[in-house]
Amino acid sequence: MSALIEARGLTIAYAARERHAVALDAADLTVERDESLALVGESGSGKTTLGMAIGRLLPPEARRESGDLLVDGHSVFVAGDEELRALRRDKLGFVFQNPMTALDPTMRAGRQVALALGGANAETVRELLARVELPDPDRVMRSFPHQLSGGMAQRVVIAMAIARKPLALIADEPTASLDASVRDRVMETLGRLRAETRASLVILSHDLRMVARHAGRVAVMYGGRPVETGPVERVLKQPAHPYTRALLRAGAGGEKPGERLEPIAGSPPVLAARAESCAFAPRCPMRQAVCSQNRPEPRAVEGRLVACHFAEAMLAERHAVEETKP
Amino acid sequence: MSEPVVRLRDVWVTYRGGFFRPAFDAVREVSLDIAAGETLGLVGESGSGKSTLGRVCLGLTAPSRGEMFFEGQPFGRLRNRRGQLSVVLQFPEWALNPRLRCGRSVEEPLVVLGVSAEERKRRVAAMLEHVGLDAAIADRLPGQLSGGQRQRVAIARALVTEPRFIVFDEAVSALDVSVQAQVLNLIRDLQAKHGFGALFISHDIAATRYLCHRIAVMREGEIVEIGPSERFYGQPEHEYSRALLAAAL
Amino acid sequence: MNLILRPHRAWFSLWRRDSLSAIGLTTLVVLVLLGLFGHYLPIGDATRIAAGPRLAPPSWRFPFGTDELGRSFLPRVVLGIRATFLLSALAVAMTACLGTLLGMVAGYFRGATDQIVARVADVLFSFPALLIGLLIAAAAGPGETSAVAVIAVAALPLFVRVVRSVTLTLSGRGFIVAAEVAGASPLRIMGVHILPNIAGAVVVQLTYALSIGMIIESALSFLGLGVQPPDASLGSLLRQGSAYLTFAPWLALSSGLVLSAAIMSVNLVGDAVRDALEPLQGRSLT
Repeated sequence: MSALIEARGLTIAYAARERHAVALDAADLTVERDESLALVGESGSGKTTLGMAIGRLLPPEARRESGDLLVDGHSVFVAGDEELRALRRDKLGFVFQNPMTALDPTMRAGRQVALALGGANAETVRELLARVELPDPDRVMRSFPHQLSGGMAQRVVIAMAIARKPLALIADEPTASLDASVRDRVMETLGRLRAETRASLVILSHDLRMVARHAGRVAVMYGGRPVETGPVERVLKQPAHPYTRALLRAGAGGEKPGERLEPIAGSPPVLAARAESCAFAPRCPMRQAVCSQNRPEPRAVEGRLVACHFAEAMLAERHAVEETKP
Repeated sequence: MSEPVVRLRDVWVTYRGGFFRPAFDAVREVSLDIAAGETLGLVGESGSGKSTLGRVCLGLTAPSRGEMFFEGQPFGRLRNRRGQLSVVLQFPEWALNPRLRCGRSVEEPLVVLGVSAEERKRRVAAMLEHVGLDAAIADRLPGQLSGGQRQRVAIARALVTEPRFIVFDEAVSALDVSVQAQVLNLIRDLQAKHGFGALFISHDIAATRYLCHRIAVMREGEIVEIGPSERFYGQPEHEYSRALLAAAL
Repeated sequence: MNLILRPHRAWFSLWRRDSLSAIGLTTLVVLVLLGLFGHYLPIGDATRIAAGPRLAPPSWRFPFGTDELGRSFLPRVVLGIRATFLLSALAVAMTACLGTLLGMVAGYFRGATDQIVARVADVLFSFPALLIGLLIAAAAGPGETSAVAVIAVAALPLFVRVVRSVTLTLSGRGFIVAAEVAGASPLRIMGVHILPNIAGAVVVQLTYALSIGMIIESALSFLGLGVQPPDASLGSLLRQGSAYLTFAPWLALSSGLVLSAAIMSVNLVGDAVRDALEPLQGRSLT
């Protein structure tokens, strides 16, 4: 069976009045069936554009310049309106950052879930709410969104997203607006539901640490395309792309007391056209002449895809460091 | 010398109830000291009362009960403490007045203090450079800057009067990881140089323990644990602190 | 810049993008120019009685016909445009200043000040303007002053409510809290930080208030409570024309059409201004 979601050289640009910004620069990505993949990147990296392109949920000023994106073997860009609606309704489920804006404030939660189910009876709704681990589903069904806490509201949104047993769940920063202490539990619920339904889960996030706990594979985005894609433990433990390593070193959490964080010098690129060199080169400590001359294409290196001319050198450096440790 | 910059003694903040709401204690019996040159981290969930406590420390909200001292004196009125304290808040997009050029935003605390125009210009330029920005940014509008740059301008504004005490309320939460590290390091370095006392309010325990000397964990208006940051790299004492830490890392 | 240096270019580019707004803007400019300078045009005297036959139909000499006193109706309509625009603009401008100030004070200080201002605005808002008009006219006598007062009463809540709610939102923003902590006075905060940021909302309200003001002025004059003869406003001309509707329909028709065009042009321009100042927020580009 083919991969569930497949982006092939997808290039999407936003045409603003005078500026032309390339959000996705020939991005390749494969999401297998029954897996959880995290798209990690900072703002401007293109992760939201790629995630939303899966349901063709792009703003009107976005234009596909080349490439394609297939869901279950069908191109979302060729699909007609009816086909697209069917795709969004039956094959995809979306969970957004802020549950309060995803829910209709004037409608009781139970009714919204029933509508997402395509008009179901109360018993089915109750079961579904119990599955997303909402305590006291009856009370939740009677509540308006503002009467629910952020975590509960997000669980209602998740219930709506899985209502029609989608093939893929796309979660855009699903816990960013929630309190720290409930984030993990919401992510665990998402992961458990994914495993139960054998759907695929695509998490869009800027938080590498959270991703490490809740995804099987990770795709690190930079300059409009994934630059390192592979199993989470492998990528986070031994990054083969200098950007992945820099991102890990910049984030608080992994450091020892007294250790200083290393910010990434410079700022992320805004691409006006396809990058003909490595987009990270200007900020890269390992930069060589070739980096600003040749565009690195993703290639398989030690069980992952890396778009870096010096991936092997990165890994070798890491091995060397480990060997010299007592 | 040993006098703390900010001292809270048994502070309560009670919001009066309304017709349908019972009265509500946002802060309950909080006592704490913040010394000069020290950053105290304040972590907790939304609704734990940490932002209210921040407002108390800034003199924006008067305690319902208890006392607050600023450099050993009762706090008095905010207007009489011009230039002695400042704040950096969440949401870089609202940190600066979108209609004012950045230079004017940074100089405002000096205008309020009645500093001469020449002196203001000199100090604004020096301060912008100090936070790692090009002096040309003074002539730009906030809309033309990135989130990290805006937060730097906000920090420059907070520091321009050389205050004794600064509150950072979720000041790095909305920034990307790599920019966050830049701003955290900037705050660290500036404090080492200027020796202000600081309260760093955040829900992000990882960033807080990196930046702060001590951490107070707040829950439902009370401080459940307060101790050196090193403790939060290992095993905090209170069960709730451990849960917060486990969720973050 | 373009607007000043090459007005025709700017007009054509507006016409291409949004022809409705272009029509509105053109109509408004023409009407305002007519109101301001129309009495210099060689179109005859607005007040000269028996300049021609009574209730004459439109002709080359009297393009809008003549009224029951034999006055040429075209210069009277021009006079009416002037009165209607001037009166409403004056009333709305005064109200805008007062309403902005009140709304800002209420939204910034909150508490009791806010309660009083907001309640008064609500009461005014829920009161029919014409009823107030009748009351004021009964108390102070009909005339231009009463008309201005009625427009002010009707438009005040428009400004107070919008300015107050925008100010409430702004007050929690970082730059205002930072200014407070720096010790800035309320006057400074309102002048430097709030006013420039609510100006857009006020301008949008201005256009709505102006069209409401013109409707009220016309209605009052139509009822005989506004502008008094021999002066004329579009409303009083319409009243005059309505008396001869069956045998001299051009009187009601000309003044009525001009009044509709005036109100519509203000609304069209208002919509264009609102679209320009508050464009729909798209998704952020991430």
